[in-house]
Amino acid sequence: MKMKKNDENGGNTILSVSPLKAITLHLICLLGLALAFWIPNHIYSLDLITHPSQTLRMISVFLAPVLILLYSHLRHDGTQCSYVKAVGRGLLALPAGAVVNALGATILGAPVGFEYFPKTFNWSLMMSLLTFVPAACVFGSSWTDWHRIFARTKASESTDYMISLPAHGAVIGAWFGAWPMPLDWESPWQEWPICVTYGAIAGYLVGLVTSLGCIIFCNRQQHLKEE
Amino acid sequence: MSKSGEVSWKSENLGKRRWAFVVFLGILILHGLAILVFTRGFLLTRTELSQYSHCSDIQQSPCFSPPQDDQMVNHSKGCWTKPAVDRIVIIVLDALRYDFVAPSTFFDEKKTWMDRLQVLHKLASQPGSFAKIFKAIADPPTTSLQRLKGLTTGGLPTFIDVGNSFGAPAINEDNLIYQMAKNGKRVVMMGDDTWVQLFPQHFNISHPFPSFNVKDLDTVDNGCVEHLFPYLYQEDWDVLIAHFLGMDHAGHIFGVDSTEMIEKLEQYNGILEKVVDVLESQSGPGGLHENTLLLVMGDHGQTINGDHGGGAPEEVETSLFAMSLQKNPSSLPSETDSSSCRLDTEKRKICTSSIEQLDFAATVSALLGIPYPFGSIGRVNPELYALAAGSERWMQNYVNVLCMNTWQVKRYIDVYSASSVIGFSDKDMSHVSDLYAQAHDNWLHTKEAVLNCKSESCSTLLPQLKKQVEAYSNFLSSITALARSKWTEFNLKMMGTGLCILVLSLFVHIFTIKKLDKLCSCYLPRGGDFVVTFEAIFAYAAVLIRSFSFLSNSFILEEGKTASFLLATAGMLQLRHAIVKKKMLLEGLLFVLVVPLLRFGIELGQSKQAVNSLFLKSFASWTVSVDNGTNLWIYVADILPFLALVILAYILYYKSITHSSCRGIFKLVAVGTIFASSLIALAWALDGNLCSPSTVIVDIKAYWIPRIIYFIGLLQLFLLAISQLFGKEKTSGWEEDTIVKVTAMLSAWSSTIIILSGKQGPLVALAAVIQGWCVIRLMTLERAKNDYYDSSTSYSSPVAKWSLLAVCLFFCTGHWCAFDGLRYASAFVGFDEFNLIRQAALLTIDTFGFSHILPVMGLPLIVACRRHPEVQAEKRKSLFFLQLCQVYLMYGLTMAISMTLTIICVTIQRRHLMVWGLFAPKFVFDAVGLLLTDLFICLASLYYFA
Repeated sequence: MKMKKNDENGGNTILSVSPLKAITLHLICLLGLALAFWIPNHIYSLDLITHPSQTLRMISVFLAPVLILLYSHLRHDGTQCSYVKAVGRGLLALPAGAVVNALGATILGAPVGFEYFPKTFNWSLMMSLLTFVPAACVFGSSWTDWHRIFARTKASESTDYMISLPAHGAVIGAWFGAWPMPLDWESPWQEWPICVTYGAIAGYLVGLVTSLGCIIFCNRQQHLKEE
Repeated sequence: MSKSGEVSWKSENLGKRRWAFVVFLGILILHGLAILVFTRGFLLTRTELSQYSHCSDIQQSPCFSPPQDDQMVNHSKGCWTKPAVDRIVIIVLDALRYDFVAPSTFFDEKKTWMDRLQVLHKLASQPGSFAKIFKAIADPPTTSLQRLKGLTTGGLPTFIDVGNSFGAPAINEDNLIYQMAKNGKRVVMMGDDTWVQLFPQHFNISHPFPSFNVKDLDTVDNGCVEHLFPYLYQEDWDVLIAHFLGMDHAGHIFGVDSTEMIEKLEQYNGILEKVVDVLESQSGPGGLHENTLLLVMGDHGQTINGDHGGGAPEEVETSLFAMSLQKNPSSLPSETDSSSCRLDTEKRKICTSSIEQLDFAATVSALLGIPYPFGSIGRVNPELYALAAGSERWMQNYVNVLCMNTWQVKRYIDVYSASSVIGFSDKDMSHVSDLYAQAHDNWLHTKEAVLNCKSESCSTLLPQLKKQVEAYSNFLSSITALARSKWTEFNLKMMGTGLCILVLSLFVHIFTIKKLDKLCSCYLPRGGDFVVTFEAIFAYAAVLIRSFSFLSNSFILEEGKTASFLLATAGMLQLRHAIVKKKMLLEGLLFVLVVPLLRFGIELGQSKQAVNSLFLKSFASWTVSVDNGTNLWIYVADILPFLALVILAYILYYKSITHSSCRGIFKLVAVGTIFASSLIALAWALDGNLCSPSTVIVDIKAYWIPRIIYFIGLLQLFLLAISQLFGKEKTSGWEEDTIVKVTAMLSAWSSTIIILSGKQGPLVALAAVIQGWCVIRLMTLERAKNDYYDSSTSYSSPVAKWSLLAVCLFFCTGHWCAFDGLRYASAFVGFDEFNLIRQAALLTIDTFGFSHILPVMGLPLIVACRRHPEVQAEKRKSLFFLQLCQVYLMYGLTMAISMTLTIICVTIQRRHLMVWGLFAPKFVFDAVGLLLTDLFICLASLYYFA
């Protein structure tokens, strides 16, 4: 079954991403993330702890164009799908992914209520950007790819790493980020969704670095094989 | 199969059954032993000394004897101290919160229940005040029995006494009531019958009324009122105790913020008004109450929900109102006056002070002139003493009283550390001795000064007296601090031994599971790679994470949410797995979606708990939206339980009665449960406003229906036991048979559990059924793999989810691991009178029914629903038996691991501020839960291993 899948992918003739391109892409991602944090903080003097909802919205606003435009370059079916279309499906995936993330958070224990709604909403927008939007830009509605990336985590090529690892990192980071919430330290950052956001960002960064490492490693292996 | 083969098969099976039972029994005994040994070391027991104080002891003390030629009008002679009052009226209002008594201006916010006892405000605010409101601070545990014990012995009752709260034993220590009786004070008691149980022989006259029926708000109070007023006109008593219980019961049933509570407060206001009128009318010179002290006090406070038992401020802060009918009150010198004064709502100035309940015994003894109880470590409270013993020379008297007090406490501490196995440490003792020596040296000077000061003008006396009081107070407060911190002597050796035994039992568990793995592998086909699935790893991780989370008090408080978090995570991983496999998506989704519903239940329970817990922040946001909802919400909330009940009954009908292999007794049991469900529905329908409340209907719904349901439940269990004894052994179709057996067993328990847990019962039961079904269905996902793995590995995920689900159910049904989390009202469903065994059984079923009994009884479904078609039929039965054993062992293991961590946590945190409020109750709940689980596993092994 695995073999068969590989064949399918191989038949698609995907443009593999070179390590250099991957590094650039990841660096731009990092830069975008840093900017998305820096701008609300320094220009609008918004703080995640004092104004979680607005800050999260700001982060999403700044992060969304960077990620969507960036990942749309990597679209899988480059021949049939125009760049604009890839951007469009990225934009569509944003609310859809937000719903999934919000649902997941609620199931795991995010507080429900009118006062928490904006926080949950903005947080899930950001999570959607970190998890679903890149995949939507790259794969569109190809169910097999989605299935491969998120359910089986069997990466077959470098774009898979670039999408799957940061997304998983963000989710796992958010999961761990929820741990300090019940503690009685009375710190303001223990509120929903602040520490979960920190966890998600940290996980995302770890995912980025890991995916970079994987890409370089795979590339070297491939080179070795070719030699 | 030949005849002899069949016989040997049978005997082998029987042997195995016995073997399994022995293993489970062994584990039960091991756990019991571990918990017993640990408890002996941890739940502190203070050594009760059998010595009593005697009148003649005064000769050994350095203090003045009270003048024998007293000018007191009545016959009472001082014994240790000069009597300050002749008679005392003590009115105990159970669970009297401080804010019931103090004016609302003392608090941030005026609540409906404040300012209801206006008569006390009026008296306390009168100028030249001879009445005062005190904030009385109790020591936990704040249950009535412990508090009465503490009040009368002047000591610190320990936690282990909580266990004696049902069926109070007599106090064997020296106590106030004993001293009163011994010294010729005639004591009259009325109200709460706990007093009579504590002091069976000491009262001259007693009018006890049963205290255990929480639903009854008025019997005790009416009885008190009926007897109280005639006594106020009589002369034949010295101390009168009237213990009103209505407020405690109103709190337990309706909570503080309820009309019932306010009615009670208003009723008490009237009663107190009348009492004060009667007393004042006879307080003239030569009157009956010329020198009477009136004390109105609470034994403990209560939370907004009416719960008490722990150490939260609301629970320990009660109040004491004292009023002297003597007309020569003295104003206190300002230095000792620790009071704070404010204007009340009617612009009257009211001052309140604070008093420790620990000091009560000593103060009352001093006022009556009787010896202080031998074990009392309290200090005679200066303000209360001054209030009652007001006279020109009260300061001199007070110094002498304190001298006696100090001497008695020192004597007690010396005797205690000499006779107790682990006394106080030498360092502490020498510190205390130093303080005492200082005070004693000072006393010699003071004594001289007092003796020289017979003439009126001695200006040096007052500073000297103050210095003396300070020295004594120093000593006494250091003793109290020492006692509070060190009294509670943990026996670390015992605790360590208990922990070791428990860890040993873990190894027994793991060893047996591994052994069974080996046995199972003979039956299971080998092939493919040895795989440990991610779900299995997460299952182990989840059990460990949950257990280790107990090391922090915050996670203990949020245990329910932690469990639901882990359960949701497990469900999500399962859903992901389902997506990978592209089947069972519906079940995966359903499982994940029901978890937040359970969490809402947990939060609802927590919001009830959060009200009385300072440590817990409540997320009440979503409940608010329900509360202020329209009629539609109320309607939906009313109709949902019925709907759930109908669905449950239908599931049972569909699963069992229409089922082919359900015959005979099992069918009968199912029918019984369906009948019981309809009875429950009937009872709830009658509960609504549909019918006019006639007494017959009330009787039917409140007494007869629950009783019939209990009876049906017992009958069903009996029938199942019979069927087990005389049932035939089968070698085929027994998987179906087991499912039928499990269903019958669960249904036999369910109706009782549902009626006990009230209208949330069917909803929770339905959620549990859905979740259980999903767990079982999703288990088949892993079957698709051809990879080879241990049978324990393959069961780890469902068992872990099962146990997490059980934890969620415990919290979902509105319980939490504290004694105020017990729903006492459920013990009285169907009964009004208190019967220890019956009510304890009902309370246990309510508390542990959903979370321990049903999960353990339902566990075989996991094994029975997983078929091994590749294994031969007769071997399959052996395999089934082995795996069932294994699953039970694994379930027990998860419980035992969390128990171990709880014990470790309790050991580490034994000096923690919240040890009695949080860790000890958690330990007790876990211990009881573990033992119950073990017991039910034993019973289940008898029932299922046929």
